[in-house]
Amino acid sequence: MEQFIRVDMTTQQVTSGPLPEKYVGLGGRALTSNFVNDEVKPTCHALGKNNKLIFAPGLLSGTSAPNSGRLSVGAKSPLTGTIKECNTGGLFSQKMAKMGIKAFVVEGKPADDKFYIIKIDMNGVSIEEAPESILGGCGNYEAIQILNEKYGAKVGIALAGPAGEHRLPSANISFKDPESNIRSAGRGGLGAVMGSKNVKAIIIDDAGAKPVPVADPEKFRAAAKIFARALLDHPVAGQGLAAYGTDVLVNILNEAGGLPAHNFTAGRIDYNDNFSGETMNALITERGGDGKVSHGCHPGCIIRCSQWYPDKKGKYITSGFEYETVWGLGADAGIKDFDAIAYIDRAMDDVGVDSIEIAVAVATAMEGGLIPWGDGEGVLQIVKDMAKPTPLARIIAGGCAIVGKLCGLYRVPVVKDQAIPAYDPRAVKGIGLTYATTPMGADHTAGYCISGNILKVGADIDPLKKDGQIEYARAMQIGTAAVDSTGMCLFVYFGIADNPGGYQALIDMINAQYGLELTAEDVDKLGESVLKVERDFNKRAGFTNAHDRLPEFMEYEPIEPHNVVWDFTPEEIDEVYNF
Amino acid sequence: MSSGTIEIRGFLQLDAFIRKRYKCMPLILEIDAPISGIDLAKQLEIPLDEVEVIFINGFVHETGAMIHPGDRMAFLPPGCPGPYRIALGFYGKNQDSEANFKIKPKTDGEEDLS
Repeated sequence: MEQFIRVDMTTQQVTSGPLPEKYVGLGGRALTSNFVNDEVKPTCHALGKNNKLIFAPGLLSGTSAPNSGRLSVGAKSPLTGTIKECNTGGLFSQKMAKMGIKAFVVEGKPADDKFYIIKIDMNGVSIEEAPESILGGCGNYEAIQILNEKYGAKVGIALAGPAGEHRLPSANISFKDPESNIRSAGRGGLGAVMGSKNVKAIIIDDAGAKPVPVADPEKFRAAAKIFARALLDHPVAGQGLAAYGTDVLVNILNEAGGLPAHNFTAGRIDYNDNFSGETMNALITERGGDGKVSHGCHPGCIIRCSQWYPDKKGKYITSGFEYETVWGLGADAGIKDFDAIAYIDRAMDDVGVDSIEIAVAVATAMEGGLIPWGDGEGVLQIVKDMAKPTPLARIIAGGCAIVGKLCGLYRVPVVKDQAIPAYDPRAVKGIGLTYATTPMGADHTAGYCISGNILKVGADIDPLKKDGQIEYARAMQIGTAAVDSTGMCLFVYFGIADNPGGYQALIDMINAQYGLELTAEDVDKLGESVLKVERDFNKRAGFTNAHDRLPEFMEYEPIEPHNVVWDFTPEEIDEVYNF
Repeated sequence: MSSGTIEIRGFLQLDAFIRKRYKCMPLILEIDAPISGIDLAKQLEIPLDEVEVIFINGFVHETGAMIHPGDRMAFLPPGCPGPYRIALGFYGKNQDSEANFKIKPKTDGEEDLS
């Protein structure tokens, strides 16, 4: 039976029942966003009792489909005030799916100030007080070790880190990965929502669970094989990500003049070699020890874009060392030392904050005079202080919009109060339209995945011109919303964009698992429906088209080297959601 | 026609290739006439199936585009992740490239990865 579990933290009551009829056929983002739109009061305070936090595996999670171990987490965001879906790797999604749990909801708010652990296993759900040892500033790395010892090394763990306990707006939810390191449902402050419900950790133990049922195993196996081949044959998986990680984008965006630098005042730097993907590869190889050039964030990942970055002696510092984090601290905040960036990344994982929001907030704070430009040691201390938190740490963890206001700045790179990531909209205009219009606030992963029909448009795209960009941003967001609902990593995009057989194989796997006859058009319709649901929530929360705008400074401050501004009119931007 | 230098970079595996062979990055090369990206790749012994597009002065071009004295250029192999191959315009410029989405043929006895 497909279970739908609710934990009411006000009463500590657990209810478990079948998946409501209206959610049958939905998974991942489609399920979390429909649920939030149905049950969360759009005008509620995100940290109050009326917000609800929902975890849902994707439609294909728990199966043998490659790269299908992604989890969606949804709620109203305390950072943006909009609906939010965050997506993460780790162990949670596959374990939930194997246990037949389609969704797990945390609602209400305890009257006391104790923190709790929710444990889910095949016998049901239990709630117990969190041990003191993982509270009061204990970092996520140590907390995972303590919980592994208590509950067993194979359990899945979701944590509200110290930042989540303090309900800081950039707090993420941290997830244990296969080696007990950390993956994150990063953006929008959902760790603060978890902390506001006094839930310190959720433990999931799938011991005794049976394999996920598949309606037509033979058809599924055949489709999965084609899908895996489409991914592995692609140069991005074979040559790009596995060797250089997402950090390969440093040099590419820098060359294209779209690498925002010095708080979005330039599009290119001359010290990109310090922390490029190519440099990362060379350093990891040279240092050896714990270092791994390639690593998967969840079992069944065959793209393996993650890595273990070691120190000079070969000792592990951090993993999942992403382009956006390196860009934010390196180019935008001017921290030129790669190891310094790595230690800050580790500290952000340890305290449990969104590394994009913090990096952009740091750069804004540097412009505002709160931190010296390029001060890696200072930033590391501030991030560590988020566990206490000190007043300055609170300010930075409040996010870029808050920092900008406190510093009296007009150059504040946010949309709907969420920091703009690593691709300057003036020089990469299609991404800019997604930043402006996605229901999530500025989010590069909201426009990441497409269906085949965009390739006709893609052939005409010039990043510095408007032509085709509206269609591009629309198709990207629709495709992404659909893939986010499958439990697939968005990086499967490569295989399904360039190899039509790969896209069909993805649909065939869903059909084989559930005994359906979905077409590509049905999948597109699913993506459209998810976006409409999310827009509906935001509209009822008070958001209008006027919120779908980039910060004004981008309209009158040209960015070098191409000397371009953001020049889409409001009417043109609004066309993105004309479907 | 005036001669002059060009500034050459390589990304992904071509970064290590240029550093190893020419002991520098970027590579500064004297040219006495404009040269196409294809001819420059051949001159530098860069395999053409490792170049999806080239950058010239920050703009994306097909591999056959001309590079002039004073230009800054870069070779980009296939392997740029995310939607950026479309967003940055590679898709419109790579159609005639030897590196245009080469899907390797399946070989006999390949492992079932599903």
